[in-house]
Amino acid sequence: MIVLSEARLNQIRDFGRSAWREPFSSRAWHELGFFMVSSMLTGVGFVFIAVTMGAGIALTVTFIGLVVVAASLRGTRGLGRFHRTLARGFIDEIIEEPLPFSARPGFFGWLQSALRDRVGWRAVAYCVIKVPLSVFGVWFAFSVWVDAFFCLTYPLWGAGATRPNEFGVVLNLFPPGFLSVQSSGFIHGLFIFFTGGLLLLLAPWPMRAVVFADRRLMHTLLGPDPVTARVRSLEDARAQTVDASAATLRRIERDLHDGTQAQLVALAMQLGQAKEKLAEAGDLDIDEVRRLINDAHGGAKEAIVELRDLARGIHPPVLDTGLEGALSTLAARSTVPVELTVVLEERPTHAIEAIAYFSVAELLANVAQHANASRASVRCTQHGKWLRVVVRDDGRGGAQPALIGSASSGLRGLIDRVHAVDGTLEVNSPAGGPTIMTIDLPLHA
Amino acid sequence: MSDSIRVAIAEDSAILRDGLVQLLADRGFEITDAVSDPEGLHESVTRDLPDVAVVDIRMPPTFTDEGLRAAIELRRRHPTLGILLFSQYIETRYAAELLADGAAGIGYLLKDRVADVSDFVEALVRVASGGTALDPEVVTQLLGASRKIDSLSGLSGREREVLSLMAEGRSNAAIATTLVISEGAVEKHVANIFTKLDLPVSQSDHRRVLAVLRFLDS
Repeated sequence: MIVLSEARLNQIRDFGRSAWREPFSSRAWHELGFFMVSSMLTGVGFVFIAVTMGAGIALTVTFIGLVVVAASLRGTRGLGRFHRTLARGFIDEIIEEPLPFSARPGFFGWLQSALRDRVGWRAVAYCVIKVPLSVFGVWFAFSVWVDAFFCLTYPLWGAGATRPNEFGVVLNLFPPGFLSVQSSGFIHGLFIFFTGGLLLLLAPWPMRAVVFADRRLMHTLLGPDPVTARVRSLEDARAQTVDASAATLRRIERDLHDGTQAQLVALAMQLGQAKEKLAEAGDLDIDEVRRLINDAHGGAKEAIVELRDLARGIHPPVLDTGLEGALSTLAARSTVPVELTVVLEERPTHAIEAIAYFSVAELLANVAQHANASRASVRCTQHGKWLRVVVRDDGRGGAQPALIGSASSGLRGLIDRVHAVDGTLEVNSPAGGPTIMTIDLPLHA
Repeated sequence: MSDSIRVAIAEDSAILRDGLVQLLADRGFEITDAVSDPEGLHESVTRDLPDVAVVDIRMPPTFTDEGLRAAIELRRRHPTLGILLFSQYIETRYAAELLADGAAGIGYLLKDRVADVSDFVEALVRVASGGTALDPEVVTQLLGASRKIDSLSGLSGREREVLSLMAEGRSNAAIATTLVISEGAVEKHVANIFTKLDLPVSQSDHRRVLAVLRFLDS
């Protein structure tokens, strides 16, 4: 026996209660309208494709044939756009726009681009496959609406006719002559009217099934194809990476300009003053010179520290010896005690190690700043071809992925870097803690 | 030597600002104000008009060329104010913008130049008294980018040295000291240069600078 959960039963009950209202819902009528208009468009499209492609293929022996086929593809691309517009207007189905057509320069460039336009060919496939779907839809779904209409209106105009028009799936549902009971009196009329009511209640569902199939078909053939979608996401990732590295370079320049460069200028200034004072042999103010050299000495040491921190921020040298060493330095420098576990069978590529390192650095900095945690742990493990880094703390939690991006450009950069190599960052941080950040990176990228 | 030249300083790096204040005060300048952003500079200059303002090019809020904008604006409002732009980079475009309205009382120096305190102080005095002080780097870039290679190659080595120093805004006396030659020799070189480059002879130092710069730039 199938045991249904309470929620499931409620769902079914709700459905039972609302199902009879379905023929009067706007969705049912929109789907009906969509089917009718898009089927007509399908008819037009099929004729267009049949004529142009037929002519083109017949002429392929000459050059003109190729031009006709190319023009046909461009036209069909337009039909595809029309179908997408219909879907959005009637049934709220948003089909993502495929890449716009971009022709290479010159007529032959255009010809080549048009003939190789995947979007155009996919639109052709859609228009062709849509033909049997429309025919089937007329027989299976549209017929139910039409028959319901004829049956319901039978009492109005049926005086002369012995039976209402019936076709499609309904014709097969009822035995022949079922609706033409011998007497065509009042009872007969009432019977047909109630049959119409029943058909009306059923009508939205086959239509929904047909439109559903069409929705899938449109997404598959009229949206961006998987290769294009992949290219797009790679382009996005590349743009992010380029932006991120430009931002990094800008930050490094700023740090150098404001930090070390300024310190060295000040240092040179102090030494220059001291040098000139020493040259004034007459009245040498030795205390003043001592002060200048003291300041310069202090400034030089500060500049060294700052330069070292900056260099480490660009690329920690210990990272060259492996992730474990670099992370243990990081863990030791953290203000919150960090327990570190690194279990890796093979070494990830340098780029991945660097991303993992800077991610952990960023996350530990966040733990120290925001989490109010007493301890944290970092765990690096290998799962097949993936490196998993889990940073956990026992702080107050409440970190939200949506907020992370806006809260700190550092974390935004982290997410971009992780995405750039097809990695993922998962945030699990219920209010009250603990916070678990999981980063998955491919070992080799 | 610079009893009461009044200087305003706009520099966002505290360490350099303090260093400059200390250095210039030590050399007998009167520091009217030391600020860290363009607004502060505008207020300060309006309040007690100094002889010269030392202005960092990169200042808040965007850290690009605020100092240059402020300098051009200040010049429009106070034509007598000398401006010494002070930067860690030399950009030819900045120099061109700065010199668009003349070279009198204009300076553009690398920050490194403070290391040679006397040279720096001398340049500041020159700018304060309506002269010009261009960084040797600016002049090198202008010479390198100049399309007048043919005319320039007609100059002797010494003449090119004199030309560079002239473009930096130095007087004949200063050029003579730098090159360790007599002032008369400098005058002769200058006359030769003006003849060879077909430039109008000019007495005042900053007009001379402008003539040379126009020549290199055109």
